[in-house]
Amino acid sequence: MSDNRDEKLETLLRSRRIEPASSDLTQRIILKAQRTPQIKTPPFWQLVRDLFGEFHLPKPAYVLASALVLGVVIGFSAPQETHLAVDDSGVSIQGFLSADEALL
Amino acid sequence: MAAGWADKQDNELLALIQDGNGHAFAVLVERHTDRFYRLAYRYLQNKAGAEDVVQDAFLKLWENPALWQPQRNSKFTTWFYRIVVNLCLDQRKKKKPEVLDNDALVADDRATADELMMREQEQKMMEREIAALPDRQRTALNLCFDEGLTNQEAAEVMGVNLKALQSLIMRAKTTLKERLKA
Repeated sequence: MSDNRDEKLETLLRSRRIEPASSDLTQRIILKAQRTPQIKTPPFWQLVRDLFGEFHLPKPAYVLASALVLGVVIGFSAPQETHLAVDDSGVSIQGFLSADEALL
Repeated sequence: MAAGWADKQDNELLALIQDGNGHAFAVLVERHTDRFYRLAYRYLQNKAGAEDVVQDAFLKLWENPALWQPQRNSKFTTWFYRIVVNLCLDQRKKKKPEVLDNDALVADDRATADELMMREQEQKMMEREIAALPDRQRTALNLCFDEGLTNQEAAEVMGVNLKALQSLIMRAKTTLKERLKA
């Protein structure tokens, strides 16, 4: 019974009918292609050049960008501990003077 | 000269197409349009839609022949089936499939009127049930039964392994059997 159903299904699947394509379909595709230009993949160096071309900026933008970069670099290069030690914990300024000067 | 073109392998034609050779493109289109149309028709159940898909697929290839990369794709038809299937799926998402009309079915003179009517009913029911299957199961059926691809080729087109493909076909057939019995 099950074999019969399998067979019937296989037959149905293999006998599925189809509406034929228009006889001019191939010609239509070919004609349309003739009117369509091809996209040529540019060579690698051309791609690199184009990529850099995308980043052309007006001069003021360069100045502004450079100033910002410079500011950030200077900012980060400054010492981190800029606060003054307010606790004197027994060390006076004289302590840093040389021994000779202290005696004076 | 004509025989020379007809003898060329798909890979050779594709290399020429990449150099902008329109004649090679025409030969490739003439060679394969019917087969890809059949597949598209199976998906869309609509002549105009299937023709549009095949046209779009070939024009895509012509416009950007670099899409074909011989070092990555072993066989043109396997690769192009994938393109056609994807375009069909895109189109199905945009638009619901149309029901096949009686006029679309080709009459068989040998059958009696009753037999013919019954067969048509069965065919219509079958198409409806196939259209209701999940995309992957339908693709597997279409490739194996209509296009006559081997399971291995169909698996390659779908990007799955052989076992997965067999399982898809089995599930599709089980579903169809159940639904057609009901």
